Amino acid sequence: MSTAYPLPTGLSPATVNNTASLLRIVALALISGAAIASRLFAVINFESIIHEFDPWFNYRATKVLASKGFYEFWNWFDPTAWYPLGRVVGGTVYPGLMATSGVIYNILHALNLPVDIRNVCVLLAPGFSALTAWATYMFTKEMKDESAGLLAAAFIGIVPGYISRSVAGSYDNEAIAIFLLMFTFFCWIKALKQGSALFGTIAAVFYFYMVAAWGGYVFITNMIPLHALVLMLMGRFSHRLYVGYCSWYVVGTLASMQVPFVGFQPVSTSEHMGALGVFGLLQIVAFTQFVRSHLSSTQFRSLLNVGLFVVGIVGTAAFVGLTVKGTIAPWTGRFYSLWDTGYAKKYIPIIASVSEHQPTAWPAFFMDLQFLIFLFPAGVVMCFLELRDEHLFVIIYAALASYFAGVMVRLMLALTPVVCVASAVALSSLLDTYIDPTEPDVAEEQVPASTDTTTSPAQAVTTTSKKAKKAAAAGPPPASTPLTNLIAATSPVKKGSPPPPKGIFGIDARLVVVLNTLSMLFFFVFHCTWVTSNAYSSPSVVLASQNQDGSQHIIDDFREAYYWLRQNTPETAVVMSWWDYGYQIAGMADRPTLVDNNTWNNTHIATVGKAMSSSEEVAYPILRKHDVDYVLVIFGGLLGYSGDDINKFLWMVRIAQGVWPDEIQEPNYFTPQGEYRVDDRASQTMKESLMYKMSYYRFAELFGGQQATDRVRQQVLPKVGPTLDYLDEAFTSENWIVRIYQVRKEDPLGRDLKSANAFEKGKKRKRSKPQPRRRAVA
Amino acid sequence: MQLLVSLLVLLPLCLATSEYQQLKSLAAAGNGLIKLDSISFDILTSPKRSWSASIQLTALDKRRKCNPCNQFDPSWNTVAKVWSKVPAEHRDNHFFATLDFDDGPTVFQKLSLSSAPVVFVYPPAEGPRKPANGKLSPSKYDFSNGFEPGPLAEHLSKHTPIPIPYQEPVDWARWATVAMGLIGFAITLKMISSVFLNRWSWALGTVIVSLVMTSGYMFTRIRGSPYSGADGNWIAAGYQNQFGQEVHVVAFIYGLLAFSFLMLIMIVPYQSSPQRQRLQVYLWTGVIMIIYSVLLSLFRVKNRGYPFKLFL
Repeated sequence: MSTAYPLPTGLSPATVNNTASLLRIVALALISGAAIASRLFAVINFESIIHEFDPWFNYRATKVLASKGFYEFWNWFDPTAWYPLGRVVGGTVYPGLMATSGVIYNILHALNLPVDIRNVCVLLAPGFSALTAWATYMFTKEMKDESAGLLAAAFIGIVPGYISRSVAGSYDNEAIAIFLLMFTFFCWIKALKQGSALFGTIAAVFYFYMVAAWGGYVFITNMIPLHALVLMLMGRFSHRLYVGYCSWYVVGTLASMQVPFVGFQPVSTSEHMGALGVFGLLQIVAFTQFVRSHLSSTQFRSLLNVGLFVVGIVGTAAFVGLTVKGTIAPWTGRFYSLWDTGYAKKYIPIIASVSEHQPTAWPAFFMDLQFLIFLFPAGVVMCFLELRDEHLFVIIYAALASYFAGVMVRLMLALTPVVCVASAVALSSLLDTYIDPTEPDVAEEQVPASTDTTTSPAQAVTTTSKKAKKAAAAGPPPASTPLTNLIAATSPVKKGSPPPPKGIFGIDARLVVVLNTLSMLFFFVFHCTWVTSNAYSSPSVVLASQNQDGSQHIIDDFREAYYWLRQNTPETAVVMSWWDYGYQIAGMADRPTLVDNNTWNNTHIATVGKAMSSSEEVAYPILRKHDVDYVLVIFGGLLGYSGDDINKFLWMVRIAQGVWPDEIQEPNYFTPQGEYRVDDRASQTMKESLMYKMSYYRFAELFGGQQATDRVRQQVLPKVGPTLDYLDEAFTSENWIVRIYQVRKEDPLGRDLKSANAFEKGKKRKRSKPQPRRRAVA
Repeated sequence: MQLLVSLLVLLPLCLATSEYQQLKSLAAAGNGLIKLDSISFDILTSPKRSWSASIQLTALDKRRKCNPCNQFDPSWNTVAKVWSKVPAEHRDNHFFATLDFDDGPTVFQKLSLSSAPVVFVYPPAEGPRKPANGKLSPSKYDFSNGFEPGPLAEHLSKHTPIPIPYQEPVDWARWATVAMGLIGFAITLKMISSVFLNRWSWALGTVIVSLVMTSGYMFTRIRGSPYSGADGNWIAAGYQNQFGQEVHVVAFIYGLLAFSFLMLIMIVPYQSSPQRQRLQVYLWTGVIMIIYSVLLSLFRVKNRGYPFKLFL
């Protein structure tokens, strides 16, 4: 047999095998290294710091866990959050993440490695990304073979779609959840393939871990039942499926109910009903199969018809009845908004306001997945080609996840693993075909495939072209040469089958495709590195800009302001800010906050929104009633930091309007032309709102007579800025990003603060003007 | 026009009858909807009103070229009509009225309105229904929920004596279409069950779903993006924005690239002639390179800071 390029001879299959497995181990180790290393940009460019918003709460909770022990953490009531309500942290949190870092911390300390808990938290996500790469390798190995597995592991190791949620310092639930997701899926596939109760139980244990770690566990809760259901509908019911599913469902559900935050939800909410329903259906189908083996076929058929009818009616009626009665809770808002996409904006603006709940435009897909995004459909087709039970899983996952990722940006994270798996399957099939050194026999090929029975009379060749291809994909000829040994050894899944009527002629065709693929892979690496270092590695607590000479300039306003609060205010001083900054204030300034990123109480958030969007006179009683001592606003107008409170202001208005539609109306904040402006033409309501006043207080003075320009909105502010009567400016950070105001106490003489202020400035009170109706609350 | 004339005839009379009676008769004449001009507008919104009123300020004349006005008007009339059917003791405490720009431009000036349509709700200034907070100025209806009658009725119900008994009309046509579609689907299913049960039709469906979804279809659905820009530009500026046409183009590019790879994997190796196979290998590799470059240049338009490019 001819080969396209020379191959070493005289190698024993054992040598080939051993070398291949050694190479695999080395490759996996390198992939893990690359996965970890590419996530360290944030630490190298900035420092070892916790990022963004939610991680600050997780970090704070982990500190409690590490210093006081698990039971203290479990019973932790945090009086400083949601002042004056407080928060029962132990019962309202997914503890998996904190428990994981707590365990790692304790192990390290038991080994006398005095690592700071912060470093454990910062580096947890990169560490788990290496595990994710391994889990993806195992999963893809079940789909195709080891080489596809290695490709998938490499993809998920560096793909920006996953890095965006797992850079060092991004200490969030997703950091460990994707590993758990992939490993649970791997165990499920394994349980299904082998009918193994052991793997089913392992899947259940990891499912439990996932439930304890991330609210996204519901994805698994619906994905596995859906797979089982589709298998049953396709007539692929088997005892393997029965054993795998039942062991997973029973153990997994009982285990998941041990998490206090989940509790009885698995038997009482719609999100979990699918899993329960499929479990019931599986029992019925299994029972039917059992009955069938004991009855004649006509008896069986009539029994089946009646039985299906009765069971269907009773099951649906029970579900509807229980839903109407309220025993089964309907879909929660967050999940419901996935199906009815207009729902959230109308009824729960607080969900719609979160930037990661926005729909995804196509550039975001390309940015996060690059060339994988168009290899992915090819991979799905490859799955259809073979269509084993496990391939169905990838197909269902692909269709569902691409819909979800389109609806919400944050669900890109759920799509990324399946994109990596599917494109690895496609790419590795391509490379398999074009690296394979076997030159097809031209003479033999001239015989049309449909009459191709003479070449291997011993075997029944399937003759339709598609089936021939399928069989062909399965393997090399059984002739015993060193070459075939090599091929057979490196691709152990391929078993003996008829000689393939396929192959590539010549070295140049091979080279073209392989080089093209390699260059695309290299490009992918460059893309991922660029995206990671530029887009996804900013801690958002610390900002970076470039000096004129190109060196990096660090903007550290947030920490400056939070430390000012920590150093200069009493420990009981209540700070009001928009909910985005609640966790950071609690974590860095250690002060009580009114609202934070755990957005469970819409009314409380709307109260803050109302205070921010009403005039001083209206807001002051609200502030006093809530014991607010300081108000913190984020203002980007000087620096051009676009994520500031004025840009978020409309959401505050909308959320407040949801609760007080009579007092706050969104159109009032626009100019009559419907523009959102902050300059001279801004609407009166806008100019009088507390948020506007606090943002632009004394802003014009900074420019010393020059035009005061807001660099975010590119508008020129009026020369005379707003005045404040009920608040005093307490602190403004270096670049004006954080501004803190102190709420004044009531006037000792009982005047309202506006007239007291006017009096102090020496202005005469005009008798003609009536007294402001609202007086400060005593 | 007729109404106007009758109004002019009525004017001297109304000095005698009370304003309230007059409004009632006007409402009755207009089938529950008062057609206003600048004089009757002042009557309706007089500071001594014991009634409440919701007023649509609009410009329905073709010359004004106000598309939203014409879109909103039917919803307004529907809600007004529903209101005219409630019991008289409630109905006569709240009036629905429409003021066309051409009938009363002075009102628009007075209210300093530069756009239409606008809906104002005037609370009663006297009597038992006077608002508790003493706010007598009109409130404006927020069109962010669209021009549909449902949200309008829901909003106005907060200001009327009793909630407006508005029911969404059953969209029979739509249900019939759905039912027909389902029946037709079932019949076709029976006839082409071989297609339905064929894995490749399912593969096609799955691939199309994932292609369309990853090209930002849901973004355009949720945000209601136009198919293309006003100036004929089909690429929306900005990284987090896109037009409907981009979905087609991007899905097509992705699909073509995936197809090229599938050709290389599934078809090319089965070519029996070396020459033909070589040609195909070069062809599909070329297609991949060129289309990929096109995709990248498209992406560079969306994301200006992107540093990489291929041939284009």
